[in-house]
Amino acid sequence: MTPHVAVLFGFGINCDHETKAVFELVGATAERIHVNRFVSGAASLSDYDILAVPGGFSFGDHLGSGRLLGNRMRFAMRDALRAFVDAGKPIIGICNGFQVLVKTGLLPGPEANQSPDFIQRASLTLNDSGRYEDRWVTLEFDPESPCIWTKGMTRMECPVRHGEGKFVMPSAEDLDRLAANRQLTVRYVDPKAPADTHSSDSVLPYPISPNGSMRNIAGICDSTGLVFGLMPHPEAVYARWLHPNHTHPSSKAVGDAMDGWEGEGLQLFRNAVDHVKATRQG
Amino acid sequence: MRDVRGDVVRRQLMADHGIEVQDVRTVCGYLIEGDTSSEAIAARVDDVFADPIIEHGATNELMLSSAFFETVPEGVVSVGFKPGVTDNPGKAATDGFLTLFPDDRNARIATYITYAFYGLPEGCDLQWLAGTLHNGLIERTVVATAEQCTARAWPQLDYPTPPEQVFIEPQPVNLEVSDDELESISTQGLLALNLAEMQAIQAHYRDPQTRAVRKAAGVSPDAPTDVELECLAQTWSEHCKHKIFASKIHHVDEETGEDTVIDSLFKTHIMKPTHDMQNEVDWLLSVFHDNSGVIAWDDEWSVCMKAETHNSPSALDPYGGAMTGIVGVNRDILGTGLGARPIANTDVFCFGPPDWEGDLPDNLFHPSRVLRGVHAGVRVGGNESGIPTVNGAIVFDDRYIGKPLVYCGTVGIMPRTLGDGRPSHVKTPVAGDIVYMVGGRVGYDGIHGATFSSLELTEESPSSAVQIGDPITQKKMLDMVLEARDAGLISCITDNGAGGLSSSIGEMAEYTNGCEIDLAKVPLKQAGLSPWEILVSESQERMTIAVRPEDQAAFESLAHLHEVEATPVATFTSTGVFHVRYNETTVAYLPIEFLHDGVPQLELESAWAPPEHLPFAPPKDADHNRLLLGMLQRPNIASKETWVRQYDHEVIAQTAVKPFVGVERDGPGDAGLIAPLHGNPHGLVISCGIAPRYSDIDAGAMAAAAIDEAVRNAVCVGLDVDKMAGLDNFCWPDPIESTKTPDGRFKLAQLVRANRELERVCRAYRLPCVSGKDSMKNDYGSGPDKISIPPTLLFSLFGDHPDVRFTATSDFKQAGDRVYLVGSSRQELGASEVAFMLTESGASPGIGGTVPQLNHPQDNLATYRVLANTIRQGLVRTAHDCSEGGLAVALAEMCIGGRLGAEIDVDGTGEGDLWGRLWGESLGRIVVAVAPENDETFRTAMKGHPLTVLGNVNETDALVVVDGDEELIASPVDALVEAWKGTLDLTGGVA
Repeated sequence: MTPHVAVLFGFGINCDHETKAVFELVGATAERIHVNRFVSGAASLSDYDILAVPGGFSFGDHLGSGRLLGNRMRFAMRDALRAFVDAGKPIIGICNGFQVLVKTGLLPGPEANQSPDFIQRASLTLNDSGRYEDRWVTLEFDPESPCIWTKGMTRMECPVRHGEGKFVMPSAEDLDRLAANRQLTVRYVDPKAPADTHSSDSVLPYPISPNGSMRNIAGICDSTGLVFGLMPHPEAVYARWLHPNHTHPSSKAVGDAMDGWEGEGLQLFRNAVDHVKATRQG
Repeated sequence: MRDVRGDVVRRQLMADHGIEVQDVRTVCGYLIEGDTSSEAIAARVDDVFADPIIEHGATNELMLSSAFFETVPEGVVSVGFKPGVTDNPGKAATDGFLTLFPDDRNARIATYITYAFYGLPEGCDLQWLAGTLHNGLIERTVVATAEQCTARAWPQLDYPTPPEQVFIEPQPVNLEVSDDELESISTQGLLALNLAEMQAIQAHYRDPQTRAVRKAAGVSPDAPTDVELECLAQTWSEHCKHKIFASKIHHVDEETGEDTVIDSLFKTHIMKPTHDMQNEVDWLLSVFHDNSGVIAWDDEWSVCMKAETHNSPSALDPYGGAMTGIVGVNRDILGTGLGARPIANTDVFCFGPPDWEGDLPDNLFHPSRVLRGVHAGVRVGGNESGIPTVNGAIVFDDRYIGKPLVYCGTVGIMPRTLGDGRPSHVKTPVAGDIVYMVGGRVGYDGIHGATFSSLELTEESPSSAVQIGDPITQKKMLDMVLEARDAGLISCITDNGAGGLSSSIGEMAEYTNGCEIDLAKVPLKQAGLSPWEILVSESQERMTIAVRPEDQAAFESLAHLHEVEATPVATFTSTGVFHVRYNETTVAYLPIEFLHDGVPQLELESAWAPPEHLPFAPPKDADHNRLLLGMLQRPNIASKETWVRQYDHEVIAQTAVKPFVGVERDGPGDAGLIAPLHGNPHGLVISCGIAPRYSDIDAGAMAAAAIDEAVRNAVCVGLDVDKMAGLDNFCWPDPIESTKTPDGRFKLAQLVRANRELERVCRAYRLPCVSGKDSMKNDYGSGPDKISIPPTLLFSLFGDHPDVRFTATSDFKQAGDRVYLVGSSRQELGASEVAFMLTESGASPGIGGTVPQLNHPQDNLATYRVLANTIRQGLVRTAHDCSEGGLAVALAEMCIGGRLGAEIDVDGTGEGDLWGRLWGESLGRIVVAVAPENDETFRTAMKGHPLTVLGNVNETDALVVVDGDEELIASPVDALVEAWKGTLDLTGGVA
């Protein structure tokens, strides 16, 4: 089967074209769908296998990034979203999409084995620098995370492009709980640190952590590992020619895909597509 | 929880004014008007207004009075918008409110921010503090002093209700008056029409035939209505008609004795060369007549580009002015052909020095505040629209204090043919098509923008000419319009920019030769606008789109889906008349021909005599090491990374060469390179060139330098020089001789020379100008204190790159690479950056001398073609343009990007002396580095072209430059980095 991906757009989402493209590059079919088509019932979420909420500036980030689009989804698509998650279908939110998923309460979501309750438990707020910035960061993935999107991935360089990417939760216990469940899927790491030193809990200095996130969190998943969100943009490094150092002699092909020019970010989308294929066949 | 908004204000006060404040806390305020009870709102405050994880919310009481402000601040400032000013957060809040309370349809929300200060320095004046936090033109403020805070007498802002607009019935304006009175009608009405133009209008209404036709149409037969006069003023404005570029110029050259007449600079030097080139290539699809120029890029896609300026509005409100600049030029792309999709932005700014300590004329902001505001406007406009900013520049000169230049450019892409087989670059309107106004509504904001920008800036410049853009409303519209295009629903589309509906419908009506508009149907932001105001208002975020009657239902349903307002307001006709009604009353009835071609040609005088300068004479015993660090710190050369990094330059996942390159991603990028089709490495290069200070010696040389720089920058990333197109954006001081402008003849001669060089160089480079724009009144004030900008041409370039995988960047890559100079250095130091630096410090008498010349451009092109080929073959991975600051600065930047040292010998690089070879800014030069294994192939390829070995990249961590036996520079790369990156970081850090 060919997994079919719904890529949301409208109201200021703006990474919809490339998000659609990366899913297509890894063998899915993908469709840009305006939020209102789900809200009005003209389209049905249940017809899709994966939901992607791309980056952008929905409603201009006013009243807090992701909040107003989050509200539209929380109030107008609640049942459809719950059914989608309960059906074990993967969801990804990137940048503004991550902010949306956090504000709807889909991330980090309730305790294991519970349906989404749409209660906000964390937030993403203004970077400590006070500035929106586009800069490349180094990410480290937790190999033990249940996240189906990041299986087999270790480190990756990709850009962050946000002004409100600082991940916060009310208490250390909240974070401890997520850590224990290995839901702190991806964190900022010092690129000069050896590969086996895992990212620390104490906040790394700017700009290694571009925003001052608690425990250097760049992205989290829900308890099932199917719903995943992150501030950095893996789709922005789908090809090696998008990496800032691709003119450097140290930039070398890894694998044969795209004539050796596949970028590191594409694997993340392939993981989800493969997951859907495997679970459907199984 | 950290209050980052407050921290930003705290850092800013430190960075800009050296004021240390202990703490700043902020409150976001929402003033709600509607039918929902305050109890109901209070119950949902955490659902929309406050984030329950990080914020506190309060309803019906001031946060300052609540328990969260136990410690009384020492000063409070609240800032909100003035009535009628676009309040984007308020609009979003209203939208969010309606999600929760869908029945309260008339609810309206206005926002404000309250800053509470702790640990203010002694004697800090709250009004002054408020002044740093708001712009009185568009915002209002209230404050509480320490005493008022202690008394808990908090400042409060009311809901900003706009004043009632008085609807004025259209009425005739009597033009049967003396010439003096004609002029005063123009001046007082901000019409910006000169006497000859007023007389042309007067004559039109004296024509018996006109009178008969008008009588039959039921409109004042012998006098224009106010609607008609305003409409003519907009359509005939310098901004819309480019009257100076179209004028007949009597040009005298006192140097050569030349005495000639030029009939239209535009037609002679810009249009003709491009049309000649259009006959020779098959890829110039659409030039000059549309909102942007279109070229074929591959078999399936075409690309287009446009650049605009937004100088006057940016002087008055840097943030709003610049934002409307960028979102406005995005609409030019959306309005090209049947609609193109914007995929890249460029931003070039010219400001006064950010560290300016001299006097400022009334009504002008400090250059650092202009920079901050303009940058923020472009950042928000570009980022929120999801369009990457891939290229740009920031230039500084004292004279831009009077008027900053804010150039905004956008590149678009569109399928060459639509699903229904129509070529997408051709508009297809027919009489009977229904004309929609789509997007935002019309308000009092933005009235007289076009005519205002055709006048010099004064203390009395009107606030209604300033607006704030709304990128999200525009983004929704953009999404909707592109879907409508792909569904084949659009027959004609254009932007509502300068001149509003009057220009947009007026211009489109030329296609079918007529239209009929009903202004009463136009949706308004506030009731009471008079017909002429509705017609000419430049309220933002609007497109004018024509649709076949049978497609109306589909078009409207698409608008509904995207929550975009689309209202039919007019019909195309073939009557030859621009017919405007308000309900059933005819308020304007102008022949299309008169409207568009009735403006009389200006006749102007031009006289050239070369300006005199004291010569650049550098000291004999200069320390070139120190000079280099000083040059790297010059605002014109220093890194702009802090600012540029705040632009999203990578959205759409296509940017293959980014604004900053190298191992630490902080070396300068020469040009933007994008691969807009996902999965396909076919590329498009975007670059620019600008060299305004060369105008001090010769504006012709200035123009040539700008064009060559744009081409060189693009060659550095591997441009295919046989498929490139350019945009000419002229910004000039008023070049019309008058009592206000006694040196008008000279300024016009500068324009003549610039145009002649533009033609000569573009013909030699086979570089067609496909779109352009001019802004001709860049002066502040009049009389002896008048400040005029240096004549400035921004040349933007977009061109083909077959494969982005084979490109080059400016950073040195690895030790052992051999460094070459392509091109050669001459003794050209006139108006160079080093000449300005040493003249300012008193070390040189002046900046005079030979300004860089472009004597044999066809030779340069041949060299560029070969060099670009070697880059696209993968032989060269390092290339950097050599411009401001000459070879020394170029080499330093390459070391910075690679964090590598180099050993360089400038002996034999050209005929110049040591200063000319090290600091001179001769055109046609590019520095490249080649890996040893490619060296021989590279040299063979470059045979017959000027090429000099400079030295090698090495691991020493130092740049060493010698001239034969003499060591000139030996500087650790770290010191170069520090000098280059330190100057323009005005953020106050991140602590």
